[in-house]
Order: sequence, then structure tokens, then C-alpha cells
Amino acid sequence: MLRVVAFRKAILAGAAGAIAWEAGLRTLAWLGFPSFDIVQELGTLAFPNDGPALWWPAGMTAHVLVGAAWALFYAYFFWARFRWPPALQGLVFAALPAVLAALIIYPQLQLMHLHQQVVDLDWKSFLAGLEQTKLSGLLIGHALFGLTVGAIYTHPVGYRADRQGKRGYSPRRAVRREAGKRRPADGSFIFATGIECSYPTTEQERWRRDEMDSTRHYDHWQRDFELARRIGVTHLRYGPPLHLIHSAPGQFHWEMIDEAMADLKAHGPEPIVDLCHFGVPNWLGDFQNPEVARALTEYAAAFAARYSWVRFYTPVNEMYVCARMSALDGLWNEQLCSEAAFITAAFHLAAASVGMSDAILAARPDAVFINSESSEFYQPCCPDPDIQELAELENERRFLPLDLLYAHEVSDRMLASVRDHGREADYRRFLARKVPRRTILGVDYYEWNEKLIDQDGHERALGELFGWYVIASQYWERYQRTMMHTETNRIDASDAPRWLWRQWHNVQLLRRAGVPLVGFTWYSLTDQVDWGIALEEALGRVDPVGLFDLNRDPRAVGLAFMDLIDMHRDVPEFRDCTALKELLA
Amino acid sequence: MRPGILSAHGYDPGPTQRPLLAGALSGVLATIPAIALLYAFGSLQIEAQILGRSEYVTVAAGWVVMAVAGAIYGRAFGRAANDVRGGWLFGMAFGFAIWAAGAVMILPLVSDGRTPAGHSAIGVFLSLVLWGAALGVVHPFVHRPLHERLETAAKRMGSHIGTSRPRR
Repeated sequence: MLRVVAFRKAILAGAAGAIAWEAGLRTLAWLGFPSFDIVQELGTLAFPNDGPALWWPAGMTAHVLVGAAWALFYAYFFWARFRWPPALQGLVFAALPAVLAALIIYPQLQLMHLHQQVVDLDWKSFLAGLEQTKLSGLLIGHALFGLTVGAIYTHPVGYRADRQGKRGYSPRRAVRREAGKRRPADGSFIFATGIECSYPTTEQERWRRDEMDSTRHYDHWQRDFELARRIGVTHLRYGPPLHLIHSAPGQFHWEMIDEAMADLKAHGPEPIVDLCHFGVPNWLGDFQNPEVARALTEYAAAFAARYSWVRFYTPVNEMYVCARMSALDGLWNEQLCSEAAFITAAFHLAAASVGMSDAILAARPDAVFINSESSEFYQPCCPDPDIQELAELENERRFLPLDLLYAHEVSDRMLASVRDHGREADYRRFLARKVPRRTILGVDYYEWNEKLIDQDGHERALGELFGWYVIASQYWERYQRTMMHTETNRIDASDAPRWLWRQWHNVQLLRRAGVPLVGFTWYSLTDQVDWGIALEEALGRVDPVGLFDLNRDPRAVGLAFMDLIDMHRDVPEFRDCTALKELLA
Repeated sequence: MRPGILSAHGYDPGPTQRPLLAGALSGVLATIPAIALLYAFGSLQIEAQILGRSEYVTVAAGWVVMAVAGAIYGRAFGRAANDVRGGWLFGMAFGFAIWAAGAVMILPLVSDGRTPAGHSAIGVFLSLVLWGAALGVVHPFVHRPLHERLETAAKRMGSHIGTSRPRR
């Protein structure tokens, strides 16, 4: 799939464009400026000897159909290619059909109107048929069409945050199962992938991004699970849509995911259930709301009670990224840009994670928590003390949510910030907490996780400078917890297999260095939508990072991962993962 | 400007795909309704007359040309050709391009300017657009059983995928 296209919206835009064209040129003709009547040209092909009562509806129908097809073409191939206002994008795009109309369609229409079956073509006289008034009409008509299509066709993915009622999973269908027999995974090294499931809001909480909707997982959930099984993963990171399920305090639409959960229970892979992935339900607002922790704790308790067979959980995914994007970088949810808002969000997210873990443990005492966090590193560009201090601040700030979760002391600078924002008492409560024994620190890594602070104090992506081994080692040294590589991918699909193996070699090296490392993940199963721009705008651009594309056809990295798993899963050190067995015991 | 038209897919077809074969077979299948439409509009007879061949020869040649065109479609659109929702549109656009290049440009050039007009011109246009739409619709379904199995493809590609031999 090239783009995620909103079919209905594109067809509506195309039809509206055709109507705008007709209204505009008909009005001009009525005012005494007759030009090119496309509706008559088309309609009289079918009804050459009849009046407007017949040719106008026929011509208009054909015009609307052609308009819809062009609008779909625009949606697939042109929309969001330039950072221009939508109407302008449509106007520029309309140059293509205008040129084709002038050079090919109009002359051919003249041919089609002839009362003979063969002609000897005289090119010069043929093209001379396009008079200036008709050419003007064609151009005006196409301009009206393009402006209308451009203005209407926006936001092809996501939905208004207050209108989410009809979203959800397709009913179960009969599917052919091609995966081999399920292998017992208890105690073996975790090979995982995930279903991308982010659901933050944007545009001041008016627009809901929903990656499971954009990637059509709700339609293809059975197929997605089957593909995960065929690849050979033992575990699947899976985040049921909190914002759809938890529709009001104390109200949960479990029926939405019952079939999907039953499928995973029966056939695998074992889910690592991700309960909060960058967003909250509308009624909770955003991560500045002090009620977030209580509400999510209630959700986790209800989830664990209903699906008591689930053992692996990620209560809150990437708390640092969530707090940063929502409250410091101003991209998601509350869209604030202040240290105070960041501290508030980080504390609320950590409190939610703690509350959720406790609630799950009450229902399932042997639950395992995989706390996935984005591994970050900031490198100062130069010896400028201000730049170095900025890099140090960022390198301390990246740890704040995990420090709270794992009862680890924050740096002096962060402590001062916590104090300044009136959170010291909360901080002390986090420090006094006993962290559950079955806890795994998940460390995600992408090529943009290592950043340079440039001379202007701005962040720049540095690419893979030190690599996962070095960055993950920093997290290991700080927390000394069992670890797992919980996310990676590569936006350049052709380089993805190489990236996969590089990450895998990093994992092996860290294991050999004595770090208890229990799993490896390629994230995600399918391509993602708009993650190349951090979901900032609803463009519908496909990022080719998946093991499979959005048609569910495999990418090279899917085959490489399959081969990697097949090569390693029966090797003794992976078949019996000592660190995981000790944790599960 | 943002990345090119098919960049999200990657320009290469997927590693388990057989785009040329699938495209050629789809092109052959899509020619059936197209020929029916040509016949209904009387365009087949006119085209044969312009080309100076019998209708049978014209149909046979058309089938071969459309198989080749289908293979080109499968290779050019790669992964996009497997999109069930949008395939008809990509195919229709391809059919339109074939019409513009073949019927509008090339046919008059090879026949001393003789070209279909009236109903037969309508028939030629509609049949190629229909051919394209049908090609796009059937391609994903024709292609699916032709895919190489994941398991054999993974073995075939092996662990060297994405790596290169060091230069000495």
C-alpha cells in the first residue's frame, strides 16, 4: 500500500469537485461566458440526439465518476507529497488531468462524436479544434475541481476523538492455519514482534490517531496473528485499544477484544499485553490529569480479572517518550512544552504503571512485567559548557520515569527539578516502593535514539554511533535488572535485514558480557503509518518498517527474522534461557 | 518534497512474489472482458480493418500484447499491485496509459493516420480502461497462490541477506 487512503472521503471529494466544476462553468455560461461543457460532451456520447433531460444526468454521472477516480488517484499518489495547504495541493495536482484533457481527452472526444467508424487523422486540424474559450473552460474547470478536492481530502487516517463509536475489530472468520504446531515457550528465549498500537490524540485532543485502525489490524487481526505464528515468534507485544475499551469510569467493552484474546490464548503467540500506549480515553483527557493513575489501575485490575491467563504485561509503554512527546515537545495529547508539564506527566505515568502492576499482581501473583522504554543518549557537539550541560540534563532526564518505577535515586539536578515542581513527597513514596521481582527492563532502540546537541542547542539525529550494546549497558549499569530488547526497526526497508542482524549481534554480545538478557523484538509485524513524522500529522504515509507490508506480503526482513529465529531457537542457550527461567520461577 | 511514488513499498517486489508471471496471467484474464466490450462496440472489426489483419489474428495478437503489458504492470507496481482495495485504480490508470500510448499515439503512426472514430473509438477507450481495472482487480488474487512459501523463501535467502563480502 502506498498511502492509507480514506476511500469514502476521496470519492466524496472527487464528486464534490465535479459538482463545483459544473456549478462554476454553468454559472459562467449563464452570465454570458460560455466555455467548455464537459457534461454535454460526455452526455451526448450516450444520447447524441436527445435533449438535456437525458444527456445532462448521464454526462453528470460520468463526470462525477471520473472525478472520483481522479480524487482517489490524488489520494494515493499526490496527497501530502508537498508541505502546502491542502487546497493548493489539489490545485497543483489538477494540472495533470488538465494537460491530459487538453492534449488527449478533448481531441478524442471530438473523434468519438463523429458519425463514422474510421478517420484519417490530420493532427494539425485535429488539435486546432481546441479554441481558446474551450481551453479556458477546461483550465477553470480543473482549477475548481482541484481546489475542491484538495480542500476536502485531508486527514485520511485517524478520526475525531469524540466520534469513535463504530471503530473496532471485525468478527471472527474461518481462516486457514498454516503455522506449525505451537512450541512451548516457557523458559526459552523470547523472540517477539508486536502489533503497532499507538493511540495518542493530536490537534489539541480533537483528533485520535489509532495505528491499529490505520494499519487495518482491526480487519486483519486473525491474519496478523497467523503471520506472527508463521514467522516463529514466541511472544507478541499486543496493546488492546484502551481508548475504545475503557469508555467511561467503570465501563469496559471487553467484547471488542474477547475473540482476539481467545485466539491468542488458543494458538499463540503468548501476548505481552501493553495496557497504555501513548494515549488515554477521551473522558480522561490527557496525562496532566491526576486521575490517570487511578483510572488505569482500575482498567488493569479489570483486565487481569477477565483474562487471568495472561502472564506478561507492559503496563505503560515508553513512559519517557510519552511524557516527552505530550508535555515537553508538544506533539501529542496535552501538547504542552514545559518542564513542569513533563514532570507532571512523568509522575502520573509512573504512578499509573505502579498502580497497574500492583492491581495485576493482586489477580495474578506470578505476572511478569516488561517495562519497555526507549533508550536515549545525547552527545554534546562541542566543548561549549552550555551545550555540555544541556546534553547532561537530557541524559539525566531520560531516566526519570524509570527511576520512579524502579525506586532509583534521581540525579541532583533532577531532584532539584522535582522539588521545584512540588513533587518531592511523591518522589520519596516511589523510592520507598518494593519493585516486583518478576520485572524486566525493556530497552527499545532505533537509529534516531542517539542524538547530538548542536551549537544552537538543538537535537539532531546522530544515527547509530555507539549502538544498542553501549546504550543498553548504561541502562543495565543503572538498574541492574533482567533486560530485553523490546523494539527496533529500520525505515529503509532495503537495509532492514542488515539492521536486524546488527541488533541481534548486539544482543548476543551483551549476553556474553554477563547481562541477563531474555528477549529480542522486531517491532512491528506490519508497516506503520506516519511514524516517520511521529504521528504529528494525519497524512497516511506508510513507513515500510514491518516484517510484512500492509497487504500482509512479507518483506525481506520478515524472512530474515524467520531465519534468525529458526537458526537460534533450538540452540541450548536460547532453548533454555537461564535468566528467564530464574525470573519465572 | 517527500519521497517518491512507490517509496513506501520499496521499488522491489516482495521477496516471495512472482510479479511477472502474476502480471502476465492477470493480463490474459483481464483481456476477456475487454474483448467482449470491443466486440459489443464493433471496435474489434474496425481495429482489424485498420491493421489489415483478420479479427482472429487481431485478438490473438492483442492477447499476447496484453500478457506482456500485464507483466510490465506487475513488475512496475510491485507490492502496490497486490493492494486489493486500490488495485483497480492502479490498473485503470495503467489501462488509461496503454490507451493513450497505444490507441491514441502508436496505432495512427503504424497505420498511416487511420484511427477509430465514433462508436468504435468509444469501444477502444472503454475496453482498455476496463482491461486495466480488471487487471488491477484480479492481480492480487492471481498472485496469492503463486507466492513462494515463507518457509522456503526464508531458507533460500539465508542469513547472508543484507550483508556484503568485504572488499580486499
